[in-house]
Amino acid sequence: MFFQQLVNGLMLGSTYSLIAIGYSLVLGLLQMLNLAHGDVFMFGAFLGLTFALLGIPLYLALLLAMLGAGIISVIVERLCFRPLKKAHFLGPLLSTIAFGILLQNVGTQIWGSEPSRYPQTTEITQFHLGPVIISSIQLIILATSLILMVGLDQFVRRTRMGRAMRATSENQTNASLLGVDVNWVVTFTFFSSGALAGVAGVLTALVYLQLTPFIGIRQGLIGMVAMVIGGLGNLRGAMIGGILIGVIEVMNDAYLTASYRDMIIFGLFFLFLMFKPEGLFGTTERESRS
Amino acid sequence: MLEMANVSKKFGGLTALENVHLRLEKNRTYGLIGPNGAGKTTLFNLVTGLLPVSEGSIRFLGQELTSLRSHQISRLGIARTFQNIRLFPTMTVLENVLVAQNIRTHSGITSLWLLRDGERKFREEAEFLLKQMGLWHKRKEKSTSLAYGEQRRLEIARALALKPNLLLLDEPAAGMNEAETEELLDRIQEIRNMGTTVFLIEHDMNVVMGICDTISVLNFGKLIAQGTPDDIQANEGVIEAYLGKEEG
Amino acid sequence: MSVYIEGVLALMGINILLALSVYAILTTDQLSLGNTGFMAIGAYVSAYLTVKSGFPLVPALIIGALTASVIGLLIGIPALRLKGIYLVMATLGFGEMVRTFFMNFEPTGGASGFRGPMGSSLILIYAFVLVFVVFFWLLSRSRLGRSLDAVRDDPEVASTMGLNVTHLKVWAFWLGAFIAGVAGGLYAHHMFYIESSNFNFLLATMIVLYVILGGMETFWGAVAGAVIFSILPEALRFMKDWRLSFYGAVLVTMMIVRPSGIITREMVRNFEEWLGRIFRTEETKDA
Repeated sequence: MFFQQLVNGLMLGSTYSLIAIGYSLVLGLLQMLNLAHGDVFMFGAFLGLTFALLGIPLYLALLLAMLGAGIISVIVERLCFRPLKKAHFLGPLLSTIAFGILLQNVGTQIWGSEPSRYPQTTEITQFHLGPVIISSIQLIILATSLILMVGLDQFVRRTRMGRAMRATSENQTNASLLGVDVNWVVTFTFFSSGALAGVAGVLTALVYLQLTPFIGIRQGLIGMVAMVIGGLGNLRGAMIGGILIGVIEVMNDAYLTASYRDMIIFGLFFLFLMFKPEGLFGTTERESRS
Repeated sequence: MLEMANVSKKFGGLTALENVHLRLEKNRTYGLIGPNGAGKTTLFNLVTGLLPVSEGSIRFLGQELTSLRSHQISRLGIARTFQNIRLFPTMTVLENVLVAQNIRTHSGITSLWLLRDGERKFREEAEFLLKQMGLWHKRKEKSTSLAYGEQRRLEIARALALKPNLLLLDEPAAGMNEAETEELLDRIQEIRNMGTTVFLIEHDMNVVMGICDTISVLNFGKLIAQGTPDDIQANEGVIEAYLGKEEG
Repeated sequence: MSVYIEGVLALMGINILLALSVYAILTTDQLSLGNTGFMAIGAYVSAYLTVKSGFPLVPALIIGALTASVIGLLIGIPALRLKGIYLVMATLGFGEMVRTFFMNFEPTGGASGFRGPMGSSLILIYAFVLVFVVFFWLLSRSRLGRSLDAVRDDPEVASTMGLNVTHLKVWAFWLGAFIAGVAGGLYAHHMFYIESSNFNFLLATMIVLYVILGGMETFWGAVAGAVIFSILPEALRFMKDWRLSFYGAVLVTMMIVRPSGIITREMVRNFEEWLGRIFRTEETKDA
């Protein structure tokens, strides 16, 4: 039973990790929160659902959702971040709040505020690993998340673009003096952030099997919690933070009352910010305290 | 009145100030000079409490400053201006001066229904200060809309509104032409005449030599000389610091 | 007056208070995305007092607001150590924490909500609105108001002018929490029924949007933003369900072209000057 829950938690948590990574990427780069991120996640989920309803196979739907969410994320960058470079530092944050509300409303108009069901597109087989039962869907979720996370980690560490991203996070002026095309790095980062959120969206749809246009709010917030617990701007921290939260959530539902779930998670969020803002694994942010 | 003993400031591996001993007496004008990066502004930051000391003590009128926070230090009678002019951008010229008076009068929740009479005295004082700096006619303008020289004068007026015993001026003549510099010297003399001790950082030697009684010289965080303008001008170490060692 | 219009006006009054609560904290350059938490505390405490303990309405409201403000103090003090976005996230976390707490708190109904608080009226709501509007007006012309401006403009320089930045920031938090608590109490006694989901993140972000739209520079902006958002649904009837998209789009555009919002400090200054000229009496020389 325990191991079963652990696996479930891992699976759920990996979706949180993907969302958390998205927040972290933007935060690390521009030192600002993209509060529209949760709603980009929501759009990714619904795009995946729409494609699935059209009979498109899962892996293709995933890719298309990634693309779509990535593009929306770039739109957020163009409207909420780029024009506000000279504004008050909170400007982009406020703008993304507004944009998020716009996305939620558009989503409601397109797909309705009633829950939409995610269709079954593939045969589900059950695998038995000792005391644990995993369905093929769960394996797909786990595998996809892991591949993406490892891929991103390696990408940031080993490729030129990855280095450019890290350089720009550290110091934009220096990076551009060293020949980095900062605008392109920013665009790419936002795209990746959105794409990951999009995948997380589709995977979450597979977990819960039903969606409303308001899932972005909660899942987005949980992703933020995961980011804080792992350490702001710390990609590996975000991955582990997400999985931790997923496990906590599942364990809570299994052994405590479900309604305590969010209280515990947000309580942790608050406590970490108050007493350990650098998270479990340290932050790349310059200073968290004055 | 101000005594710095054995003061050091380190930022991680970097030593900004080392073992600085400094003594300021009342009613004199002091100068602090040195090449860029010597630690002059850091010294000001330590005195005003914007940075904590790594080592040493700073006493002002008998009080130990190193354990106080900057708002407590300014209430003891120390005011300053900043190297890169930091006025309050959303406030008018007059408001910038008025806010400096807040520590001298009711400025808490009671100020919401403050009686007019008490205010009048402070308003007149603000008017006097601004007129002295030639800025009264611009009192309703946004502080950032002023010309560079005017902004510097406003910063000084604002600092004076605190009625400080010690006034720290960080490069007050920077960016000024000859005429403005002459005027600045007159102002500083007036300030001195009213009983305020002045301690200034400057690169403009005309100002420093012209008005300071005692000059301290910093180089690489260390105090390398202290004395009258004549002493300093003749000091080899100082010349070397500014011009570099002669080869050969 | 029809019941419907009364309802709209009542909510408008409460929205004005909520916007002012965000503005109060914003005066010191701190953004709170968790004022719904303070609102909830004010709502539940005052409702419990009137319904379960038979308290009269106004004292219950005040106690509810004071409870919220004390908790605001407890948050504000450690929160001061946090910079920028950390503070924003902490307030966000706080709001969600309070919401989920009340979702589980049985004495006030837990997930099934709390039924019963009543007795609010338009007069009561707008009495509070008037009190706070007058308060903020006096604040804007006072030395305390100027201290707050200085802290917002440049806290380091403000501290060298003798201003206790910490005190002022915490005080602003206390004030914002108090006003939100009042709004919550009035809300509870107007709606007759409250549940934790009323105090959600969406609302928390909406009230911030009121202030952004109306103008962050003066308290009039917060009032204007709340009024506009409360009336707009009627004026924009034809847009039906696309209203929120419209708001979102307008705000994103506004942040780009007119980030100071509709009402600017300039505007208010000029207006006050114009008023002053018309009603000029034997006064001290301007300023």
